[in-house]
Amino acid sequence: MTTLYLYAVFNGVVLGMAIFLVAAGLTLAFGIMKIFNFAHGAFFMIGAYIAHAVTGQEASSLPLFLGAALVAALAVGGIGILTDLAIFRRLGNVPHEYTLMAAFGIMLFCTGAARIAFGQSVHAIYPPEAIGGFSNVGFLVSHYGLFIIASGVVVFLVLEIGLNRIWFGKMIFAVARDPWMADVIGLRVQRLKLASVAISFALAGLAGGILVANQSLSLDLGHSYLLLAFCAVIVGGLGSIKGAFIASLIFGLAESLNSVVLPTMPGIGSYALLIVLVLIRPQGIYPELSQ
Amino acid sequence: MNRIAQIALLLLLAAFLFAPFLVNPGLVFIAGFALIQIVFALSWNLLFSYAGLISFGHAAFFGVGAYISAVVLRDGHGIHFVLVILICAVAGAVAALLVALVVLRRASGVQFAVLTLALSQLIVVLIGYSSLLGHDEGIAAIPRPVMEFGLFTLDLNRPLTNYYFVLAICLLAVGLMWLLVKGHMGRAMQAVRIDAERAAFIGIDVWRVRVVAFTISGAFAAVAGALLAPWGQIVTPDYVNWLQSAQPLFAALLGGAGFFWGPVVGVLGLSGINYLTRTFAGLSEVLVGASLILVVLLAPQGVLGAVRQFARRRGGGNPGGRP
Amino acid sequence: MILDVHGIEMSYGALKVLHGISLGVEPSETFAIIGPNGAGKTTLFKVLTGEAMPTAGTIRYKGQDITRLPAHQRARRGFGRTFQVARVFNELDLRTNVVVAVESRLRYSGGSLGRWWRWRPTAAVRAEAEEILERFGFARRRWQDEASYLSHGDRKRLEFCVALATRPEILMLDEPTAGMSPSDRREMTQLLLRLKAETGITILMTEHDMDIIFELADRLMVLNFGEVLAMGAPQAVRDDATVRRVYLGQGHHPGHRHA
Repeated sequence: MTTLYLYAVFNGVVLGMAIFLVAAGLTLAFGIMKIFNFAHGAFFMIGAYIAHAVTGQEASSLPLFLGAALVAALAVGGIGILTDLAIFRRLGNVPHEYTLMAAFGIMLFCTGAARIAFGQSVHAIYPPEAIGGFSNVGFLVSHYGLFIIASGVVVFLVLEIGLNRIWFGKMIFAVARDPWMADVIGLRVQRLKLASVAISFALAGLAGGILVANQSLSLDLGHSYLLLAFCAVIVGGLGSIKGAFIASLIFGLAESLNSVVLPTMPGIGSYALLIVLVLIRPQGIYPELSQ
Repeated sequence: MNRIAQIALLLLLAAFLFAPFLVNPGLVFIAGFALIQIVFALSWNLLFSYAGLISFGHAAFFGVGAYISAVVLRDGHGIHFVLVILICAVAGAVAALLVALVVLRRASGVQFAVLTLALSQLIVVLIGYSSLLGHDEGIAAIPRPVMEFGLFTLDLNRPLTNYYFVLAICLLAVGLMWLLVKGHMGRAMQAVRIDAERAAFIGIDVWRVRVVAFTISGAFAAVAGALLAPWGQIVTPDYVNWLQSAQPLFAALLGGAGFFWGPVVGVLGLSGINYLTRTFAGLSEVLVGASLILVVLLAPQGVLGAVRQFARRRGGGNPGGRP
Repeated sequence: MILDVHGIEMSYGALKVLHGISLGVEPSETFAIIGPNGAGKTTLFKVLTGEAMPTAGTIRYKGQDITRLPAHQRARRGFGRTFQVARVFNELDLRTNVVVAVESRLRYSGGSLGRWWRWRPTAAVRAEAEEILERFGFARRRWQDEASYLSHGDRKRLEFCVALATRPEILMLDEPTAGMSPSDRREMTQLLLRLKAETGITILMTEHDMDIIFELADRLMVLNFGEVLAMGAPQAVRDDATVRRVYLGQGHHPGHRHA
């Protein structure tokens, strides 16, 4: 019985880290651009498709797999910059509701385009051999799951340290907090903003590339992670990486334990949790950057 | 509203009234869907333009109405269909009230939007659990009701009767919403949207106004959904997903959210797109998404907004009141 | 005493902005709060109007504790408020601006808003709104104009119309003459004097313009660094040595004086 729960906890952590990979870029985008990028899921999906295009159905080696993910990150980062220039920049003066709706429109557009380009087919994807195995520690621990956990932690550390300690990150942080002041002290606001946009979208692409082997590749790939990522960002506090990390773990665990405790009603756990958390603490765990 | 607008509206009404005699049954079928979408879109815009809240999950309330109606009709409880519609309205109101109580507690704009999205997904999930509701396949082959009114009988199996019944209910719903919006409640809601703090300082309970607006909006969305069951005879979870929630949003923006009749114009445009792209999977999403982006970028005031600007420029312009 | 404020303390995080402010306002009195920028006037004002909750202290209005009451509840009990930068309902026309306020009052005081199928404001509501607009000098032909097109001075006057439509017993005015031209300022002063004479309304205001204060205020309070420096009749405060030294400056300056 305990092994079942341990397994559920492990899966929960894996799922939590997967959610975080998606949520990280999302919360960063909000913190810096003050835009809640509904289209984030679409970019995640594009990242997955690109990585798949590079590696084929099964990546022959771990470096290739990682490389594909990086390619996806770069490509999506680039697409993100284009999107920002073409759309989000122009929406500077419009009330923020309209920006939300434009992002929603982008998401619809991308979903539809993908449906046209790739059809309704579903591809099964496998992780590379190096991390494709399992270990038995009383219950089955997939190496791929461990890989996801590792990725999540690495991304978290890079972002936390990068934003708070390293000069480049601090500049981005400053621009996010107070663009006018940043401009006054000579920071190149526009360039930094562009860099931030690129990073946040790249994270979406990276997440897509890493997580592509977790599920079959289909159009609804993004949806399950996406909504949970949205919830994690809200609960964690808009703009807070730490908050997103903790909240993602919470939701991952909730989902996973839900399927053990209430197997006939999958999915309800996270919603119940969302409602409770929003009622208790509507501003999020770390509300520092929320408006 | 000026002369031209009044005439346009009358023409539109006439078009809907005489549709069965003017166009083929296929288009009449579309017209019925359009009427239902109009009520749905107006209910959304009630919330957006009058209370200032964006709901990204409005399809949930639509779905509540659609599913209750479908189940009652399918299982043949013999309940009078008009009563069914009222039940759906109440159910929609209750669902919206519950959501409002959770979401309007100090949640800000973005949080509100995402939460409405999440909660509507919750409803999809809950529907998916239920075998009563047909899981992912939904409910098909919904029988059309026959309604006894004492002096006369309305058999919705007859296409003409069905269409005019839908038209009548929709006109009633639109009329009620219009009264609400133009009346003192509508004025209070607008005050809350324009400047919530100022409204508070003249004694308006902002939270309560928002909750009431949400509840009413949910009720009307459910009524629209209730009409869908006997009209389309099939109800699936697809009617409750993100794309469905986007429809009223887009209709309102395209037509002009700042105008009561804006969503009507938008629905007509949307119906056109949906009809033309119905065979090509994914194309409607592409077009709707692209158009949404373009409208937000180029003409956030929508078609009616552009028309008004054009009229102002021609007429020399005067600081008039709201339409 | 219509307003009894006792020991108000306010902190933003670790920064204490108000250190135990107490004051009392008598009915029909005009009470002014002055002080340099950063003295805590705005914060105190926000606490009194219900926009911010103090960390300590009580506020009693007509004997009832309203310290924790939100803004709209205070409005319903008789508070009216204007903002430093006049806030009106921009997209609505002048008449509808006032109508909204009148209807709000009727709603919470149990008055009649007309039959449910009548969407226009009732004749009584319209008449009341129009009377208020006329009283404040808005000609009939302007009533359908959108509020966003008003000049600065007109917006302030409209805001008064809106605030007074709820028949408040105490008016909270946040720098009522801020940013006004001299002629507008004179008009505002006349308006307020007339209002006082005709309705006996209590006024609590923050101001920078000393001339206005001497014309309108029965008593005033000087705030400095979140503490009460002096309180009393304008003449007495002006002659107070501490105030002179710290705030108004030494010596007698003829003519227009700015605080």
